This record gives sequence, structure tokens and C-alpha cells, in this order.
Amino acid sequence: MDNTLPGFSLRKSFGKSLLYSLPMILITFVFISGGRPDFSDPLSAIASLATFMLVNVLYFLMHYTGKTDRFRAVLFIIFALSLSFTLISNMVETRNSMSFSQADILECKIPFCHLVIPMMIIPAAFTKSIIFPGTILGSFAGIASMVVLWLVATLVLGRGFCSWGCFYGGWDDGFSRLRKKPLLKKINDIWKWMPFAVLLMVSLTAALSLVPTYCDWICPFKAVTEFEEVTSVESAVKAGVFISLFAGLVVVLPVMTRKRTQCSFLCPLGAINTLSNKITPFTVKIDKASCTECFKCVAACPLFALNQEGIKSGKVSVFCSKCGKCLDVCPNNAIHYGIKGVPSGTMKKFSRNLILFVSFLFMAVFASGSIIITVRGLLDLIF
Amino acid sequence: MKKIKIFAGIAWAFICLIIILALFPGLGSFSGSLAKLPFMKINPNYTGGEVEQSLIMDNCTLDIRRPVFDGLFREREKGFVQIDWRGNIPEEINDTIDYDSDGSNDFSVRINSKSSETQLQAFSDKVRDVGISTPTSYGWAVRVNVVKTNSEIR
Repeated sequence: MDNTLPGFSLRKSFGKSLLYSLPMILITFVFISGGRPDFSDPLSAIASLATFMLVNVLYFLMHYTGKTDRFRAVLFIIFALSLSFTLISNMVETRNSMSFSQADILECKIPFCHLVIPMMIIPAAFTKSIIFPGTILGSFAGIASMVVLWLVATLVLGRGFCSWGCFYGGWDDGFSRLRKKPLLKKINDIWKWMPFAVLLMVSLTAALSLVPTYCDWICPFKAVTEFEEVTSVESAVKAGVFISLFAGLVVVLPVMTRKRTQCSFLCPLGAINTLSNKITPFTVKIDKASCTECFKCVAACPLFALNQEGIKSGKVSVFCSKCGKCLDVCPNNAIHYGIKGVPSGTMKKFSRNLILFVSFLFMAVFASGSIIITVRGLLDLIF
Repeated sequence: MKKIKIFAGIAWAFICLIIILALFPGLGSFSGSLAKLPFMKINPNYTGGEVEQSLIMDNCTLDIRRPVFDGLFREREKGFVQIDWRGNIPEEINDTIDYDSDGSNDFSVRINSKSSETQLQAFSDKVRDVGISTPTSYGWAVRVNVVKTNSEIR
């Protein structure tokens, strides 16, 4: 059992950090190289090596410095940028455009993403079909593989998916870090319930119209992935909505508030992940014996998961995405990763090591494919 | 009770660790198994429905699909029928379609594949207008909006 005395540190020595990083090094090596490094294409080999180095250096630093969010965010943001790059380059390669045409819809060639999942459920139950023009087992963003990835991640990580697995979250996470201090400090945290309203609305409208209405009309990330070809007033209005929501909720508000406003106020999948936070064994706990109630964690939390009343009663809400930002700012390590059933303040190091391994492994393997493609693309531009 | 809770929590955490370790190597087979479930097929509103008639023409094949009226609980009154031309598409397409196979033509469609201009001539009350007319990777596709007749609704 760990102690709860002030001065307790999560930092590890160089050797110990390396030892803790070894399983990650071995597993990511197997996934990135396929177990057999291929040097026939030097640029691909360099891209794979750079990705391998990046993920493992970040994981090592998490152990060596005892900081979590600082290094998680680097990979998370790179993941978001590289995924958009991969998606756009794939579309430009196959269609010569970032927009998709009516023919792409008719031929079911639209890449599937996890944000469609909330709208699939009711129609799948009643019509025994998926209301999305994608491929079930496609090599690129197939529906079955994305559903499996999300299902497992949300079962294991709960809302941790939003900070360790979602390839869009890095956008507003990144913009929320641009200013050191927020311009807008007072935000009523009642807005954090908004995604449940969005979830209800898009689930019902999608079920009634058999159209994924969130993707069709709302999704801000259409602005950085793919969108419908602007050929009519309706498609122009849609493009306007996508760009406005991206500018407002992913860029401007995160910069002004230092919060992930799109994830907090809009994302319907975030609402489902919030519910699955009840299932995951991994959580964030508050050690009341060490907490001085400085409330630095409340100010730092990007998803409105912490408030002063919660800290006083030693409770973290279900909105927590286990990003680790509160852990990094806590001067006494009073707020810490924990396992459900294990009393707070105990087994801090064990819980952190286990949660970091599980969460980081998911992100590293999930992200590595698109990061390699992006690095390879950049190398192609240079050489 | 406290010890049981701790044991259960740690056991569940280790099961999750194993699940994550198995996820990526097993992704192909997990996805394959999921894809076999009965609801894992694309809705006909997107695929255009199954091909009901396939007519071989000079340079291309004309596929007439099942009319799609699919709704959440039951069929809707308004739907569409999709016609696909596959192969080498002539500059001018002009075909007459009997989509419900009742022996009488329902509409004729004329497409200029260069200008994408599409004209529809309806021979039946059920045929409304052209919903989509677009070149595709396999040739050309047209969706004609249709409605059900009173007897069909009943």
C-alpha cells in the first residue's frame, strides 16, 4: 500500500522508468513493425521508427516525470492532426477532393467514424440494418472494426475513450491549451448535460428519418475530414453549420475557456461514454487525507467533471475522462488514478501503472497507423 | 466485504488489461464475427435495394432494383426505385422501365451522360420525379421517386 504523506511522489528513476516502459516498447514494436521490420522502403521505415520512438519516449516520460496529461496530450493532439491528414489524403487520392459526391453515397464509400454509433442503435434494432453509407468490413474505416474498437475501449476505459481513444478530441484539447489563462472563467457547468439532450435528439431524428442526422447536419469535425459536395442551398447551409460549429466549439471557446467545449457541450458519443464510466474498473479518486482543497484540479479539469462540492466530499463525477490534467496540477498527489473497490489513497502507484499501460497502449496502437502515414506523407513532401 | 471489493476491482482491472492486449491482434476476427450478425448490413436507403431485374444491353447492363419504401417500423408511402447502368455508357441513355414487373411500363428516362441532363416521362401515377442522377464508378445511377398506390398502402 502507498503512503499518503506529503512529499509522496510518482516520479521514478531512469532505470525504473525504462523497466516500466519495456512492455510498451515490445508491444508497440510488434504492432508497428508487424514483428518484422521492413527496410525495403527507407521512407516508410523512417516513418515507422519515428512513430515508435515518439510513443515510447512519451510513455517513458510519463513514468520518469510522474506527469500524465502533459505527455498524453502530445500524442492525443498528434493523433487528431494525423487522422485528419490521413483521412483527407485518402479522399484526395481516391476522389481528388475533400468532399464526397452523391455517387460516393450511392456506392457506400463514406468512411465510418465512431460518432455515428449513437444514431445506429435504434434503427439497427428495428430495421436490422445500419443507416450509414459505408462498408461493413472495409479496409479503411469499416463499420465493424470501428464498432469493435469503440465498444472495447468504452467498456475498458469508460469516458477515458474521450481522452485516450477519440481521434477528434485532440482538436479542442489542443486549442484549449493555447492560452495560459482563460479569458472566460465563469461557465455554468449545467451545460455539461447538453450532450445528453443532443444524444436524445439525434437518436430520435436518425431513427425517424433513417439518416445519421448528427453527421448530416451538426458534426463540427466535417470541417477537417470530409463533407458533402456543395451543390445546393441545403448542402451550403450544412457546410456553414459544420464550419461555424468547428470555429465556435473547437477553436474559439476552447481558446477562451481552456475547456474542451465541443466534448463537454455537444458530443453525443461522449454522453454514452459518460454512462459507460459506471462499468470501467478504472477511475480517478480523491484522497481526503492529503487534499488541502486548493481546487486547482477544479480549474484545470477540461470537461467540468470536478467541482468544489465534489472535492469536499471526495467524489469525482462520471463526466471524468481520466485525462490526468487534475493529477498533474495537484500539489499533494491527493487526486490520483484508482481502481474501483480499492479505497482512495491506497495502491496509488499500482493503479497509475495499470491505468497508464492500458490507456496508453490503446492510444499508441490505434494512433500509430495514421501517424506513420502522416510522417511518410511529410517525408514525401521533403524528399 | 472490503477485501472482496478490492479483489473484485483488481480482477476486473486485469480482465480489462487482457481485453486490450487481445483487441488489436484479434480485431480482424472480432470484426468478422460482428459483421455476421443479422443487423450488420447497410440499409437499402443507401444501397438502393436488391437488384430485381438485370437486362443485358449492347454495351452495358441495366439493373432495376427493388423499390425502397423502408421506414423504422413499417414501409413508408414515399420511396424510390434505383436504376443502374453498368459498363460502357453511351452518350445518350434512353430506357423504358417497368420497375414493379406488372407488364406495363412505369416510366422512361433519358440521360445525356455528357451534360448530366436527365428527363423523366412518367406513365404511372406512382412515379413522381428524379431524385438523383449521377455518374458512378461502374457507369450511371438514377433514383426515381415513387409512391405507393392506395391499394398498396392498405
